[in-house]
Parts: sequence; structure tokens; C-alpha cells
Amino acid sequence: MFEAARRAYAEAEIDPRTQIDSFVCASEDLQEGTSIFDEYVPDQLGAVQRPVHTVASDGLFALATGVMLIRSGIADTVAVEAHSKASEMRTPGRLDAFATDPVLDRPLGTSALALAGLEMQRYLHVSGHTVADCAEVARRNREHALANPRASYAEAVDPAPLFDPLTREQAARSADGCVVVVLAADREGVAVEGVGWSQDAPSIQSRNWDRAVATERAGAMAYAQAGVAAGDVDLAEVDDTFAYKQLQHLDALGLAELSTDRVDPSGGALGEGYLHEGNGLARVLACVERLRRGEAEIALAQSWRGLPSTSAAVAILRGAA
Amino acid sequence: MSGRRVAVIGAGMTRFVRRAQETGKELSFLAASKALESAGITLADVDAVCLTSAPDAFDGVHRKGDYLSDGAGAWGKPFIRTYVGGGSGVFTPIQGWYTVASGIADVVLVVAEEKMSSCQPHPQGAFLTIFDNMIERPLGPNLLWIFALEMNRYMQAYGLDKRDIASVAVKNKRNAADHPSALLGEAEITVEDVLASETLAWPVQRLDVSPISDGAAAIVMASEDVASRLTDRPVWVQGVGWNLDTTYWTNRDLAYPQYVENAARMAYDMAGVTEPRKQIHVAEPYDPFDYKELHHLEGLLLFDRGTAPEAAAAGVTARDGDLPVCPSGGLLGVGNPIAAAGLMKVAELFWQLRGEAGARQVPGTPERGLAQAWGDLMQVGTVVVMGTEGGPSPTASAATPPVAPRATALREEAFRTAEGAVTIDELDLAYEWDAGEAIGAFLEALRDGRIVATVCTACGRTLVPPRVFCERCFRPTDSWTQVPDAGRVETFSICHVRWDMVPLDPPEIPAVIRLDGTSEGGFLHKLGGVEPDAVSIGMEVEAVWRPVGERTGSILDIAYFRPRRGDAR
Amino acid sequence: MSRTVTGGIPIGFRYTPGVGNGAFLDALRDRGVLLGSRCEACGVTYLPARIFCERCLAELTPGVECGPEGELVSWTVGHVDLDERPLPSPEALGLVRPDRSDTVLMHHLLGDGPWTIGQRVEVVLADERRGSILDIEGFRPA
Repeated sequence: MFEAARRAYAEAEIDPRTQIDSFVCASEDLQEGTSIFDEYVPDQLGAVQRPVHTVASDGLFALATGVMLIRSGIADTVAVEAHSKASEMRTPGRLDAFATDPVLDRPLGTSALALAGLEMQRYLHVSGHTVADCAEVARRNREHALANPRASYAEAVDPAPLFDPLTREQAARSADGCVVVVLAADREGVAVEGVGWSQDAPSIQSRNWDRAVATERAGAMAYAQAGVAAGDVDLAEVDDTFAYKQLQHLDALGLAELSTDRVDPSGGALGEGYLHEGNGLARVLACVERLRRGEAEIALAQSWRGLPSTSAAVAILRGAA
Repeated sequence: MSGRRVAVIGAGMTRFVRRAQETGKELSFLAASKALESAGITLADVDAVCLTSAPDAFDGVHRKGDYLSDGAGAWGKPFIRTYVGGGSGVFTPIQGWYTVASGIADVVLVVAEEKMSSCQPHPQGAFLTIFDNMIERPLGPNLLWIFALEMNRYMQAYGLDKRDIASVAVKNKRNAADHPSALLGEAEITVEDVLASETLAWPVQRLDVSPISDGAAAIVMASEDVASRLTDRPVWVQGVGWNLDTTYWTNRDLAYPQYVENAARMAYDMAGVTEPRKQIHVAEPYDPFDYKELHHLEGLLLFDRGTAPEAAAAGVTARDGDLPVCPSGGLLGVGNPIAAAGLMKVAELFWQLRGEAGARQVPGTPERGLAQAWGDLMQVGTVVVMGTEGGPSPTASAATPPVAPRATALREEAFRTAEGAVTIDELDLAYEWDAGEAIGAFLEALRDGRIVATVCTACGRTLVPPRVFCERCFRPTDSWTQVPDAGRVETFSICHVRWDMVPLDPPEIPAVIRLDGTSEGGFLHKLGGVEPDAVSIGMEVEAVWRPVGERTGSILDIAYFRPRRGDAR
Repeated sequence: MSRTVTGGIPIGFRYTPGVGNGAFLDALRDRGVLLGSRCEACGVTYLPARIFCERCLAELTPGVECGPEGELVSWTVGHVDLDERPLPSPEALGLVRPDRSDTVLMHHLLGDGPWTIGQRVEVVLADERRGSILDIEGFRPA
């Protein structure tokens, strides 16, 4: 965290001790193995005795929070942080299962990956996509990742079965990393034009199994704020924790027609590695880099919180003129 | 402040009970629906939902924000769970404030929930992992330690009398007798009762502590336009503040919560409050322990340092006193389902400022109130200042909200034997934490019988525990140095119970030791080779090391600290 | 050199089923029926029974008997366990929407398959029931 923060502050030419008004972190206690992870954040962000708070969610929700703080007028500059130290969590399957309903779902004793298998099966049924389409997403994202110096998983992986029709090479593998973003009200740079977030029923029983409705709503909220339509987006970094999710998220955002080389050009989680609560900010970072290079004008970053969650967030970013 | 004005327009809560039959979702629903009813709106009118709940380890669900979201009315709506430990219950209204002030939503439902009873064998177990995994957990610390260490330091710094502190427990438990949700309201309790209660971790006694509870609370917040349409007495959010201190709690002076003062100043500035003691008419500071109410009152600049206890004992903070404090009965009286208890305080201000608090109503026409919470590792302060224009409505109802609060209390027997309940004997999550560079070197040096520190030349501090960067200057530290393995006792406790409340005989003596040659440098360890009643703050001590062959590169390579040989005692 | 500390969080849990699930589990154990709750305002029947509607926060009363047959909404065959190690033999799971319910149950699928989205299935209950979701053994082709 110290390293990511230091680099972000150096690039922004900002001293966190005097020039950052508020700090927002995204983390989940049990992912870290600590109660209460918020305790352990201020020092390495330069935030000691400053306004700091934690959102128990993905980093893109922390970014939306930073936007709210600035729009409320209580802060002009906000640092947002999210990370993954997944290598320290030795039982990830059990952790995901621990997020399911303790009375109705957990007693079955199955891996949360069952939910991905069930949803993928249903999605292919209602959308007309095929398993081969999903395999192609995985292949293409890994190809994109070859050009990404941050990527860890550009090599191909065996298609061992997990939960039919989901296979191993279509599931992102964890990586460690940290992303810090500095938001400012009065500086030149990539602009956050709109943010949106939502979720569907947390219940496995009552959620919508056909569509990523949370992403639909988060997208609608962000598009409306930004005053743009799906057709205006020329680059999208969407969640691909599972290959089928990328397709489902593009459908939900009205981006199914976007050219494939404009979708997850970073390689996404499949290619870069899955950053858990840092995933959304990894997508934002990938958008910011490309907007700054002039490779796109309007980029959309989207995250989904991973199994067994339905939560999703979207940010629409515009490159500086 | 460029954002719009925001008001609280409704509030609701459940009963606070020791063990609820309801799930956390159902508790959230009970509070949320009451708050909506209180505001005269339906869920369809709500644009976004803000939720908080403290450690997931209580309810026993990872990502419990998602799990609780349906009971909190968040289906299909923008929803975020914020979480700042014990400070959460007063942070979430701040979250509600910025959600509305930013223009994202006109109406938000703000919910706080806690179901601590799920955690076995004792909810205190959820706090085992608040401590540093490398250098603190091996000592077997429990939550009571940090309160006892802080309480002792506070008492010693100002020469405080335990009787005065105990008066707060009495005040709050008596006040709570008038609160319909209260778990521990007791109209007849006395200071003697508190002082006679079992010593858990000296100086903390059983009746100094608020009880583990289940419960939920909720409020509705709205923008000015909407608030003015829906109620004739909106309670405006006038100021908000929050502040987080360093993780290195053993390097801080626990006698004074600087971060609470910082949060208070942020809120006072925004509210235009320049003389808090005069301009705050009713206060709900966080009172998980009786001394905490006093500690916080001073941090909130409502009383000078070291003077709050005497004022409390003299009745200044009684409901009919000059500055009523915790007229609700606070955590000590109503109960402490952590996040919900904090929000309960904000709900109390809502009712007090509108003249709707019934039997708990403070006299006169209070126009401005303050709620505060605290948490993490004695690190975070969250403050909200609320007020009306013109005081309570003359037509305010005399009925005492919360009206007919619900939650089904289960007796322990029923809880243990109920069919349909699901039990997990032990959480099967495994971790492998990286010590990192600095602590790694620190532990290696311990194996060699040395204590090492890092030095920041910019601020001139010598730091134990060592870190590769100075958190004050935000720059890498410059060098390593060795410090003596002797120092002074900054504070200590005599702890008679384990984290699961199993008695310890002989008691343990946890202490913060400031080593010679360090600046505010201290770390957590235990005292040994000394009788408990011979220990004092300021006492000189030295490390007793394990034999070389038994050292493993752990904080336990120091067996304990004992009085320095040649010490006058 | 890197140094690590292994550990866990040595606590256990006891989860009350709650009021809604409690009514469902009691009905399952005592009468072998699948009990749900209906929100008339939203036109949604929830199974298992709930005391609140998640869409409008209306208070609900358990009382709608669903199933015993229903529609297979989705299915999967699992090959790995919680630690992603291979299962001794594959396990089929499905999402089933029992008749009169608007929500699904996730449970084991009994039989060799093949499974088809949309097929009719029926619930199989355990002979000895104790008020658990596992009082349902699974669903088999109807």
C-alpha cells in the first residue's frame, strides 16, 4: 500500500499529510484475516489523524464514495485505495462459501463455484452464447495480457472441469497488488463523468438468474450522470472473473457490439490476475492509462464483487481534451 | 460547503436483546420499516441505502453487507456498507449525509445492525484478530486489555477516582430504564453496586462494561426540499467529522483521544460551533465502558481534560443537569450491538430535539445535539452535530419512541437447543500472513536477544515497533538502531479472565512498555516476576529473555518484563 | 528473507434460522411441505418463507404451500470440492422453482441425468427430518 500510495502521490505532486482531505479504502475483514481491517490502513497511506474510512466493498465503490465526498463539498482531494493480498488467504474456496447463507445454502457443503456453473448454464440458455464463445473470451483476454507488464496469467491453462459448463481456464486466478487513485476537484486529468452502483437480491433463491441486473442498473445510473449512451463508449474494462461474466456484463451495459479489441485490452482479471477488492480499481487503472495515451475518449470501468455477490459498480471516464 | 442541506426525518430501532431469534436480515428489516413509518414514507421513496455493521466475525457471514442488504431495503438500489469498527454507528449517518449532499440521492435509508450472539463461544472472540498478527496475537491479548490499559492510563494521568467514573454507569443504566428498547435499564442501581462487581481486567469491573447484544437501528435522511415537505421539524445535520489515528496504538498517549478532538473540530467548524460547551445542549458520546463517556467528553472539548469525572459525579451530565449526556441510557444501559448502538444515539438526538423522547426527554428546549462514536484499535472518532431551528415542536407527541420496538429474545437454553439452528464448531479459514520487512527484521533480532528500532531523521523519532516508513512524515525511515531491552511501564492491567471469560488464576499483567531510547515508543507485552499490587505506572522494568535455544524469532522470545533490579521498590 | 505466520480465527458460530426460515423448517420437518410467503403488493411468493418482502419491506406471513413439483431453472455438475480438489464422484446441483413459488431453491439433483433446463422435477424428502435444509434430499425427474 505504501508503494502504490507513494507513486500515486508523486505523480499527482501532492503531499498526503497536508493536501489530501479524505481517504477511502475498500477491504473485507475476512479476506485479510483481521477484525477490523480499517485499523491497519492510515500509516502507509499518509493518513494518520486524517479523515479516513473503509467501505466493505470493491474499490470501484470506494471511488464512487470519493466522488460523493467531493461533490458534497467536504473534500477537494480524496485518495482511494484497494488491494489484494490473496496469497495470504490459504482457503479461498472456504472463504467464498462463508459468504453464503448459513442456514439455507452452506449446509449443502458445495463450493461457491457451483453458483458460477449454474449461472453460466442459465446465461448460455437465455442468451444463445456458446461455451466456445466463452473460451474465446478467455483466449483473447490472455492474448491482450501479453502486452501488459502487470499481467501474471498470460499463459494458457488446462480446461479442467470445475462446475459444468465452467472450466478452469475460464476462471481468473488470484494475484496480489494494490491500486491507489487520487481524485481532485480542481485539477486537469481524466474526468470521472459518472458513477453508478447497485446489487440484486443477495439471496440465491430470489436473485435474477438470467441477467446481470445489478450491472444494468449501475450502468444506467452512470450513463445518466455522465450524459452519455452506450454507443459513446469506445473502451470498456469490464469484469471477467469468469469468462462468461464478461459477455453477460457487456450485454447488461449495452456494449455487446463493441469491437473485441476495445474490451478488456488489459487482459482483465483472466490475464492480469484477479485482485479481489482491488479488481474495480485495476479496471479503472487500465482505462486511465489508455485514456491518457489518447487511445480512447470515453472509457467505462465496471466491477462485480465475485461469488456469491451480485453487487456491481460502474464508472464512466473521459480523457482530458 | 457546496453540497445541499440534509436532515434526519425519521428513526426506528429494534429492542436490543442478548440473543435474538431473528436473523440479521430480519433485525435490519424491523428497524428499517420502523424508520420508514416514522418518516411517513415507503421504500419506493428511498433512492439509496447506507448500511453499517461491525466485524463480520459476529454475524458469521463474510461480506455481511451483501447478506444484510435485503433486510435493509436495498433491493435494486445503490447500496454501500461503510465500516470503521466501533465508530460505525455514527459514521453511517455521515455516509447518509454525503450521499444526499452530493446529489446522488434525495432520500436515503441508513441502517445499522449487529448480531453478536452468533459468535461462539463468546462474541469477544471476534476481537481476537484486531491485534497485530505478528507481534501482539502471540501474547494472547483480549479486548478487555485495551480498555483496561486505556482506563488505567487515563485515571493515572489525571488522578481520577473510580467512584466518579462509576457514577456514569449508574446514570446511564438508570436513564435506560425509560428506554423501551433497553436490555439493561436498572432504575435502582448504585455506585456501590458497580464498585462491588467482579474485577475482570483491573481497573475494569463487570458493571463498567456494556453488554453484548443483538439489534438494529435505522434513520431516514433527506435533502432540504424533501425534508421540508415531509415534516415540520426536520433535524438538520449541521456538522460531520471523522478522524483515524495511527495503527501503532502503543506509541500513542492513551490518556487523551486526540483523534476524537480532531473529528469534533471538523464537525464544529462545519456547524459554526465555536463554544461547544454552550452551544451543544445534549450529547450522546460513545459509552461502551463508563470511563469512555468521560474520556470522550473531554476529547469533544465539552469538558477540560481530567475534569469530566468530577462533573459527572456532581450531576452536571444528568438528564436535568447543565449538559445532559446519554439521556438515552447509552450503550451501558440500552445495550451494545456495536454499530446499531452508535446509530441509536443519533436516533435519540432526533427524538430529543423534536421533544419526542417522552420519559427520557431532557428539559428546556434543546436546539443542538452531538453524537459521537469510537472504535478500531482505540483509533477512530466519528462525530455528528444535529440541530433544529427553534427547538422541539410545541405539538410534539409525548409518546416515547421507539414505539413498541421488536426483537424476540431467546433465553440461553433455547438458543443452545433450538432445532433449525446451524452450528459451526470452528471457522475453517486459514491464513499465512507475511511479516513484512520491518517486523521480519524485528523478530530476527529478538531471536538474537536484541530489540531493534528504525529512525526517522525528519521528525527525529526512534520507532518501536520498527517500520520501513515514518507514518508522521510519510517518508521511508533512514536507519536501524538497537535500543535497550529495558524501559518503563506506560500503563498496565491485571487481567483475571481469558477472552472467552474463563477465569485466569494467577491473573496476567499485560502492559505497554516504553523502552529507553525510543520516542513514544512502546510495545505490548506482559509483566512477570512481580506481584500485581506492586506494579505501578512509571515503574522501571527490564526484559527477561528465553534461553537462546528456545527462541524462535517471536515476540515471545522475551518471556516477560520484570522490575529492574535495583529499582527502589 | 521472508517470514510468515500461519493462523486462523479460532471461533465458532451458532446461527438461529430466524423467524421466516424457522417457519419453513418447522413445516418441512413436521408436515413435509415447502412453505413460502406471498407479498400481494409485489406479486411475489418467496420460498423459503420470509417475514418481509425484500422489494417493498412489507411484513409478510408464511402460509403458501409450494411444490412438490417444479421446474428446473438451471443445473450444473460439480467436479471439485471447497478446496478445489477433485470430488470422488461428480455431484449434480440445480436451481428448482417449485410450483406456486416465484423464487428458486438450490439443491442436489438426484439421478444420472442428463438434465435439461425447463424439465419437470419433484422434491425428495428425507425419511427422518430435523428442521434443516437437508431434510430435502434433492430433486429428481418428475
